[in-house]
Amino acid sequence: MPGVFLTAIRDGVKQHRLLWLLLGLLGLFPIVTSVADLPFWNDVAMRIMILGMAAMGLNLILGFGGLVSFGHAAFIGLGAYAVGISQFHGIDSGWLHTLIALGLTGVLGLVIGFLSLRTSGLYFIMITLAFAQMLYFFFVSLEGYGGDDGMILDRAEFAPFDLYEPLRLYYLIWVSLALVSLMLMMVIQSRFGLVLQATRSNAGRVEAMGLNPLRFRITGFVLSAMIGGLAGVMFANWQEYASPAIMHWSRSGELLIIIVIGGMGTLAGPLLGAIGFLLLEEFLPEIIGHIAPQYAENWMIIFGPMLVLLVLFVRGGLMGLITSRFRGGG
Amino acid sequence: MAVLELQGLEKSFGALVATSAVDLTVEPGEIHALIGPNGAGKTTLISQIYGSLAPDRGRILLKGEDITRLAAHQRVRKGIGRSFQITTVLMDFTAADNAAVAVIARQDNAFGMIRPAASDDGLREAAMAVLARVGLAKRGPIKASDLSHGERRLLELGLALAAQPGLLLLDEPMAGTGPEETARMAEIIASLKGEAAILLIEHDMDAVFRLADRITVMVEGAVIATGTPAEISANAAVQEAYLGDLSLEESSSGEDGS
Repeated sequence: MPGVFLTAIRDGVKQHRLLWLLLGLLGLFPIVTSVADLPFWNDVAMRIMILGMAAMGLNLILGFGGLVSFGHAAFIGLGAYAVGISQFHGIDSGWLHTLIALGLTGVLGLVIGFLSLRTSGLYFIMITLAFAQMLYFFFVSLEGYGGDDGMILDRAEFAPFDLYEPLRLYYLIWVSLALVSLMLMMVIQSRFGLVLQATRSNAGRVEAMGLNPLRFRITGFVLSAMIGGLAGVMFANWQEYASPAIMHWSRSGELLIIIVIGGMGTLAGPLLGAIGFLLLEEFLPEIIGHIAPQYAENWMIIFGPMLVLLVLFVRGGLMGLITSRFRGGG
Repeated sequence: MAVLELQGLEKSFGALVATSAVDLTVEPGEIHALIGPNGAGKTTLISQIYGSLAPDRGRILLKGEDITRLAAHQRVRKGIGRSFQITTVLMDFTAADNAAVAVIARQDNAFGMIRPAASDDGLREAAMAVLARVGLAKRGPIKASDLSHGERRLLELGLALAAQPGLLLLDEPMAGTGPEETARMAEIIASLKGEAAILLIEHDMDAVFRLADRITVMVEGAVIATGTPAEISANAAVQEAYLGDLSLEESSSGEDGS
């Protein structure tokens, strides 16, 4: 029966060509912005790539593992502070920052995962949120590192690249996103990825097959935490600033929204969701500003109903929309 | 040596004694049926053997090895396979994908993250063999949720068999299945003789008396008799406690509340 084997994996990486297409477009995007003389849009694209990366990481445990982690921004924050605090102590190498961030988020992901993955459903949502809040207030209380105000930092030295040269940071972020995409593609198609999806489907059966579901969930959680950490390193360099605000719980919510918009449990979904979400965030206030200026700040008033409609009427978010379009409306 | 030996197993839920000093052995290659009225504690007993419930007292020996303290997935690795009273398969996976996960679990490389699983021909063939073993070779591409109830029971049995267990715990495998599938299930269970020892909970008395080498009768958490089908049907205590009861006539009564 060729072609029907491991449908669960095939569904997970469906339309993965779309992901490579989006990556390709993002790679060429600076050419467009330089021709059109709209450098501001490079900034939007970098934001899209950073949050898209974090959302892709979260999607591994959320979409494929079936566990709603509501504290993922904490790992972005940890990655950002790995840059800020390292620099504060005279470590300027971006490569080292990245290593420190990956190590830190890996270890904390392991600890938080180990403690929180013993619960599930609503309890899991609450305990991951609680850990994220703990970290948030921990960094608020670190007066030496700016406390509530955060810390201003310089772009790191990714020798031999100077991130202050035009587009160096852009392509650092772009390459990171491409690497994360390739790694996730590999993991999702692997045996591990299939078993992770099996634990989402029925952990009791996975256990009855002789595997400990917890170990697969923890591994997935650690991987997604480390991807969050990498996104945090990029975030700090892009913003040239690290503060507790990066790990505010509302950002964890933003990541969830991005995944839902794009399509849970699909490789390409979160990046698509990040594009959709951040473009709306840019454009909606402007559009509303033209029509009813007093509401421009409250663009969420329009965004909220759009999200509700999407969730109600399109199964699988934007990915679902695209897939059904390709299948001729089915 | 016995495949399974229970020594003085006890389990209470508050004042309710669910398992009362149960001694029981399952010999190699035997089909050992566990019968008793609803609420007799059969599923509770099986759950303790499997490891999802911890006994208050007593020991569980698998091929002479004490497994009382092991987690369920560790016991599975030691050779215990299980089908559940409520069918437990990966519902949103196809039958073939279900089988593939079972094969991966057996092969000890479930954490492989590099090679794509779908292009692994060995995995595909092994998964198809798992399905063929329970007569589902043609149902590979069908989602488990779209299989009939009986087919899902067969799939579940196939997943348990994929681990090549020395001991199979089957909790009412025929409950709620159609006559054709019941016959197929009985045929497959009979064909396992010699391959795996089986501890079978079943309400279908025809099937029990046809399949079982020995029968253990439980009432209110305690074993009241163990013996061959002939000995059990002749046993006065069993007659009084159970066989005279109307529940014998119900071939597949619903819940075993235990």
